[in-house]
Amino acid sequence: MTDLVPVLAVVVPALPLAGMLLALLARTPRQADLLALATALPTAVAALALAATALARGGLPALRGQWYLIDGASGVLLGVIAVVGLCSVAVSPAYLRTSGRSWTTAARSRSLYYAALFLFWAALLAVPIVGNLAAAWLIIEATTAASALLVAFSGRRDALEAGWKYLVLTTLGLSVALLGIIVLAISQANLGHHGLHALDWHSLHLAAHALPKGSTLIAFVLLLAGLATKIGWAPVHNWLPDAHSEAPAPISALLSAALLPSVLLIAWRVKAILEPSVGSATTRGVFIAFGLTSILVAVPFLWRSLPWKRLLAYSSLEHMGVIGLGIGFGTPLAIAGVVLHVAGHALAKALGFYAALPLLRIDPEAATRAPDGVVGESPSVAAAMGVSLLALSGLPPSPLFLSELLILLGGVAAGEELVSVIALLALALGFLGLLHAFVEGVVGGHRRHHRHTRSRVERPLVALTAILGGGLLALAAAGLLLPGSGFVETLARGAL
Amino acid sequence: MNGALVDAMLGLGLAVIVVRRRSVAIVLLAAQSLVLGVGALSLASGRSGDSLVASLVLLSKAIVLPLLLYALIRRTREPGLVIAAAGPLVRLAGAGAVVLCAVILVPPLGLGDAHAEHSAVALVLLGIAIVVARRPILFQLLGLIVAENGLSLLAVSVPGGLSYVIELGALFDLALIVTVAAAFAQRIHNELGTGDTELLRGLRD
Repeated sequence: MTDLVPVLAVVVPALPLAGMLLALLARTPRQADLLALATALPTAVAALALAATALARGGLPALRGQWYLIDGASGVLLGVIAVVGLCSVAVSPAYLRTSGRSWTTAARSRSLYYAALFLFWAALLAVPIVGNLAAAWLIIEATTAASALLVAFSGRRDALEAGWKYLVLTTLGLSVALLGIIVLAISQANLGHHGLHALDWHSLHLAAHALPKGSTLIAFVLLLAGLATKIGWAPVHNWLPDAHSEAPAPISALLSAALLPSVLLIAWRVKAILEPSVGSATTRGVFIAFGLTSILVAVPFLWRSLPWKRLLAYSSLEHMGVIGLGIGFGTPLAIAGVVLHVAGHALAKALGFYAALPLLRIDPEAATRAPDGVVGESPSVAAAMGVSLLALSGLPPSPLFLSELLILLGGVAAGEELVSVIALLALALGFLGLLHAFVEGVVGGHRRHHRHTRSRVERPLVALTAILGGGLLALAAAGLLLPGSGFVETLARGAL
Repeated sequence: MNGALVDAMLGLGLAVIVVRRRSVAIVLLAAQSLVLGVGALSLASGRSGDSLVASLVLLSKAIVLPLLLYALIRRTREPGLVIAAAGPLVRLAGAGAVVLCAVILVPPLGLGDAHAEHSAVALVLLGIAIVVARRPILFQLLGLIVAENGLSLLAVSVPGGLSYVIELGALFDLALIVTVAAAFAQRIHNELGTGDTELLRGLRD
C-alpha cells in the first residue's frame, strides 16, 4: 500500500479539482447533483485509503516525497476531511433545493456552488499532504477565496457581511503569516539554503538547530499570529461566528470540522520544526495562551441563548482552544487527546450543522433566535441535535470526554497544573452551558405545538445521525488504545 | 533594493490612505506596484533566472490588478463620496505613527538591510491601517494589496531571491482574492447602493 502513496498524494487533491470542472459543465440542477456525488465518492475513497495507509504505519517515520509529507497527523486530518467532505456534498442538494436564486440564476448558482465546494475540498485535502511550508500557505490562502464565496452564497445582506469580514480578516492574517515565512526564508538563505525546497518541512526540521534564535522567534510569532486568524483562535476570531452562522450548513460543517483543524495542523508543524531554535518554553507558551484564551472567550457565549448555528460556531472556538492547549502541553497523553479531539469534534460538529438544514425548514425563525423544544416538532432533528450537542459538551461516552481528560492529564504531566485547573473549570462551565442549550432547545417545551410531518430533508439526516453517532462511539473505543501507542509517541516527538 | 525606490513605495502607500477618490488611489497603487517591479528587475540582473521570472511576475501584477480594480469602479459608481470616519490629516498622522512604530520596534530580520526590512514591515502595517481606517470596500481591497506589496518587497530582498514558484503562487492567490473581493464589492454595491462597509454592521452578539 505504501507504494501507492505517491500516486494517491496526487490523485486525492486532483479528483475534487476534476469535480470542480465537471460541476461547471452541468446543465441542469439534477445533473450537477449527480456529478457532484459521482466525484465525491471516489475522492473520499482515495483520501480514506491514503489516511488508512498513514495511520497503519503507527509509530514509523513520516512518508516523504519531493513535494509531499504524510505522517500520522496527515492521516487523521485526511480521514476527517474525506468523511465531512463526502457528507457535505451528500446533503448539499437538500440545501440547494430551497436556497433560491443566490448570486445568479438557480441552475447557474448550483454549478458555481459545487465548483467552489470542490475547489475548497481539494485545497483542504492538499493541506495535510503538502511537504512545504510556503506551498501550505499558498493552499490555505486559496481556501479563503473559495470558501468566502460559499459563506456569502445565499446573497443575503448578513451573509455578504460575514463573507466580506471573513475574506478581509483572514487575508490580512495570512499576510502576517507570510511575513513570518519570508523571515524564515531569509534565515535559511543566510545558511546557504535557497529556493522553494529550503522551506520544505524536512529541510526546516534539519536546519532548525542552526537557525538564529532572534529572527526565528520573530518568524514563529508572526506565523502563529497569522495562522491564529484562520484557525479562529481568540482574540482574532471575529470572523468565525459570523461566517459559520451565515454559510450554508454543509459549508459551515466543512469550515468548522475540516478547515480550522487543517490550519491548526500547519501551526503544529511550525511548532515542531522551530522548537529546537526558539525553545520549547516559548512555543508551548504561545499555544497555551491562544488555547486558554479561546476557551475562556467562548464559554460565556455557550451560556447565552443563541441561534443554533451561532452556538455551534462558539463551540468551535472552544474546541479549537482545547486542541491548541493539547498541542501546547505537548506530552504524549495530551497529543493522544488532540488526535481524538480533532476526529470527535469533526463528526459531532458536522452532524450539528447538518441538523440545521431541516431545523431551519421547520422553524425558519431558528436562524435568528435559539431553538426551543425541537423534539415536539421533529424527533429526528432533535435526535441529531441532541447527539451533536451532548457529544460536543463532552458527556460520556462522547470521545470528547476522553480527549479532554487526556489533554488535561497531559497538562498535569507537563507541569502546567494551574492552566489545567483553569481549563477544567472553564470546560465544566461550557459543559453546563451546552447542557442548558440541550434542555431548553432540544427537549424542553416549545412555543408552537404542531407536529411537523417528516420532510425529504430529514430522511438523510436520520441515516447521518446513525452513521456519525456510531462513528463517535467507535472513536471513543479507539481512543482508549491511543495513550502509550507508538503512533502518539512519534507525533509527540514532532518527528517530520 | 535601491533606497529611493523603497522610499517611493512607502510614500505611495501613505498617499493611498490619504486620497479621497478611488480612481486616484488605484493609480497610486499601480505606481507602487510598478516601482516594486522595477526594483525587483534591477536586483534580478545579478541573480538566477528564477529572480527574473519573479520580477516579471511582479511587473505583471502592476498591470493586471489595477485594470481589474478600474473595471470594478466603473461597474460600481458611488452616488457621492463616502464620508470618512477621520479627516485626511488624521489618517496621515495615524499612518505616519504606524511607519514610525515599524522603524523603531522591528528588530533585525537577517537581511542586513535595515531600510528594506523596516519599509517592508511598515507597508504591511500600512495595508492593515488602510483596511481599518477606510470605509469604502475598494479602499479595503487596496489595503490588502499594499500589505502584499510590502511582503513582496521583503521577498525580493531575500539573498538570492525567493523562489519564483512562491511569487507566482502568491500572485495567483492575490488575483483570486481580488477577483472574489471584486465580486463581493459589486454584490454589496447592488444590495446597499454604495460600497460603504459602515453599513455592513448587522451581525453582533
